[in-house]
Amino acid sequence: MILTPEELVRVRAQAEAEYPSECCGVLLSRTTPTADRLLMPCRNIQDELHAKDRERHPRDSRTAYFIDPKDLLAIGRREAQGYRVATIYHSHVDTGAYFSATDRQNALIDGEPAYPDAVYVVLSVVDGRVVDAAAFVWDPAAGDFVPTEFQKL
Amino acid sequence: MSVQVYIPTPFRRATKNADRVAVEALDVKALLDELEEQFGGLKGLVRNDQGEVHHHVNIYVNNEAIEALQGLETALKDGDEVSIIPALAGGGPALAGGGPALAGAPRVTGAG
Repeated sequence: MILTPEELVRVRAQAEAEYPSECCGVLLSRTTPTADRLLMPCRNIQDELHAKDRERHPRDSRTAYFIDPKDLLAIGRREAQGYRVATIYHSHVDTGAYFSATDRQNALIDGEPAYPDAVYVVLSVVDGRVVDAAAFVWDPAAGDFVPTEFQKL
Repeated sequence: MSVQVYIPTPFRRATKNADRVAVEALDVKALLDELEEQFGGLKGLVRNDQGEVHHHVNIYVNNEAIEALQGLETALKDGDEVSIIPALAGGGPALAGGGPALAGAPRVTGAG
């Protein structure tokens, strides 16, 4: 399951609360020593980057997200405890739930997926309300991210 | 002196899936040199040709980003933990509303 109904409720609430900024976060999961799932809403620091260096970061948080490195460090610590990044989610503001060229570009390192086993969930938030969501996974045969089934909102 | 290096998922393909590596190094630069020596696949992933850490990569010594310390010259001591973490980022179209209209994945009813 990509997101449980309860997790989806929380992600939707985050996406709407952070509108008109994009929200972001991850779902971590592990199977041993006990099965566990951990939803980690993350801080989008895109506005700070944009304010600091507009040339390198021309977008603000309405059209981009950049997970706070401190959150990434926390994720890393969880990975060291046996968790894996199962889902990476973010929202698009006033546009569709699709995997954008920017999403694709940033999900790759040297042409290879940074998290090949993770599902990327994109929520569309229009006028402050989540209206759509979609999920994407890496398809090695296609060499690209492709849509996968996701629960209906 | 031995320093533990945490390797996150995106870089593990370069470390034969090792998530932790022990490295002997006096500072962060020497640590990266040693890591790249052990795992040639890391070359170019963490630093550019000029030896500078890529902007999308963050390096922490324990819980402190090296930018807040002495950068690559940050000294290491026995038992330190170094984490090398690439950015996680993305976003919609450059101009709001410029993307496909609510295009997405096939849906199923109920939990997916």
